[in-house]
Amino acid sequence: MNAALSRLDARRAEAAEQFRMRGVPHRRVEAWKYSDLRAVTDADAVSNAGAAQWTIEHRSGDVEFVDLSSSAQPDWVRAHLGALKSDSAMGAASFAFAHAGFALRVPRGQSGEVRVNFASAGQARVLIVLEEGASLRYVETVPGHLEGLQNIGTEVRVAENAHFTHARTALTSAKAVQIADIAGTVARNGSYRLTSGAFGAELSRLELKLSLDGEGAEAHLAGVGVLADGTHADVTTHIVHAAGNTRSTQLFKNVAGGKSRAVYQGQITVAKGANGSDSRQTAKALLLGQRAEADLKPELEIFADDVKCAHGAAVGDLDVDSLFYLRARGIPEAEARNMLIRAFLEEAVEEIANDDIRALLWQAVEDALPRAMESRP
Amino acid sequence: MSMLQIKDLHVAVDGKEILKGLSLTVNAGEVHAIMGPNGSGKSTLSYVLAGRAGYEITSGSIVYKDEDLNALAPEERAAKGIFLAMQYPVEIPGVTTMTFLKTALNAQRRARGESDLDALNVLKRVREKAGSLKVSEEMLKRALNVGFSGGEKKRLEILQMALFEPKLAILDETDSGLDIDALKLVAEGVNTLRSPERAMLVITHYQRLLNYIVPDRVHVLSAGRIIREGGKELAHELEAKGYAQIVKDAA
Repeated sequence: MNAALSRLDARRAEAAEQFRMRGVPHRRVEAWKYSDLRAVTDADAVSNAGAAQWTIEHRSGDVEFVDLSSSAQPDWVRAHLGALKSDSAMGAASFAFAHAGFALRVPRGQSGEVRVNFASAGQARVLIVLEEGASLRYVETVPGHLEGLQNIGTEVRVAENAHFTHARTALTSAKAVQIADIAGTVARNGSYRLTSGAFGAELSRLELKLSLDGEGAEAHLAGVGVLADGTHADVTTHIVHAAGNTRSTQLFKNVAGGKSRAVYQGQITVAKGANGSDSRQTAKALLLGQRAEADLKPELEIFADDVKCAHGAAVGDLDVDSLFYLRARGIPEAEARNMLIRAFLEEAVEEIANDDIRALLWQAVEDALPRAMESRP
Repeated sequence: MSMLQIKDLHVAVDGKEILKGLSLTVNAGEVHAIMGPNGSGKSTLSYVLAGRAGYEITSGSIVYKDEDLNALAPEERAAKGIFLAMQYPVEIPGVTTMTFLKTALNAQRRARGESDLDALNVLKRVREKAGSLKVSEEMLKRALNVGFSGGEKKRLEILQMALFEPKLAILDETDSGLDIDALKLVAEGVNTLRSPERAMLVITHYQRLLNYIVPDRVHVLSAGRIIREGGKELAHELEAKGYAQIVKDAA
């Protein structure tokens, strides 16, 4: 066994130990206050979850691919896999136990596109490396028939002037517990764009920790959640502005029907010396069900002097003035409600530059809306 | 033929009586002005005619073309030809003006058993009316009323009125917030829609608008009741004497 491989083993052992120490997160852990994972699974279930099945449905452009279950790993995988220090127990578990997943690398100056479907319960690890000036469009889907625990950990390295576009759609699977834990770094003038669609599970959590490490690095996150009765969707983000003149924007919109719960926690840290950085975050929720709930928590930690930070959160029902206006113009109530709900979600989707991704996400919204709306008591 | 007949109407909002026995008859082809000071019940009258929730008719009746209006939802009233140009048109981000116009026009047509118009046909109709009201193509592409000036919002209200071709148009403080040029433009738009088949109710605080939209009848509303009625000259008398004097005279 060579030294590099044993380093990988050491990291994996460390991750296993980290999970053993922390255990399955529960509501007394601040970051999991609104999503009690321990109520729906336990440590044994996580460590024995096995490998999640995944299928690469499309791969084009100049993208290297490595299956992480094979024993021979190239140097770049050994250098990066599991190397991002994370304090996430579920992120650690995705690396420690399954030995499953894949790695993608886009070489310097190249570009490509990859679509992957995570079709089964279990765990998997994904490593994505974008070299200098590279770009990748990465589309991840989780099907609606998923049952049981799925825990996917993703590490993303975006080098200087590289651009990563990440789209994620997790369809409604009320019998699933679905965790996506993403950790990433973005170097100088690089960018990370995420678009997420969460359509509810027994419990779903998208956790993203991103560090903007170089001047001019950017992160733009947008997401919609459309939740039917009995589902729960949590989006938790932590953006670290580690360098000056970095920019981040976030816009998350949720529609919650029946007795469902939408959670958004958005932490922004502006490190000492990260002057000229600019961050905005907005989270909004429409409660369609009388027993629906939304917990929106933006959080700012600022250690630099010259920064711009804006955040806002709002929870409510459809605007009565707007509803009356549309009805007074002849639009029946159900249709008017429909229009206003779509308009509310539209804002988080309209920014998506790629037509295919926008269409994919919007189709999922259309499919999920009737169930979220019917559950209105 | 009487288009609108309001008899001894009492309306309460949040349990508080706002209209206290209002009676009014408007015939097809007529333009009536309702004038009154703030708090007299002008907006309540316009909302109760359009069917807004929370405006409860405690007694009296509103008959529109031989039909009890109280039984109809706002969208049914619109399809039957009632249009309220609102004092504060709402902004709706995420819905473009053109999409809204098409959806509303077709919803009204469908309710009347007429076929939907395709996008091109709607666009053609909108363009026919848009020019004289100075509603630009750019405005039609923007989200409904979002970022529109006060004048643009009011012009769009009148454009809708022209497009929907209502039988009874109610204009609630359409003059508020308009400068004189915008006021003239809006008034011209309204005047071109005057017709023997159409009745209009122009609700306003000030006489100014009535210089441009000359009414057949003027009614003065005070404390939820009509206290005086007359021809267009009544508006000038109001302007000269002020509401306080007219209310005192009527008492």
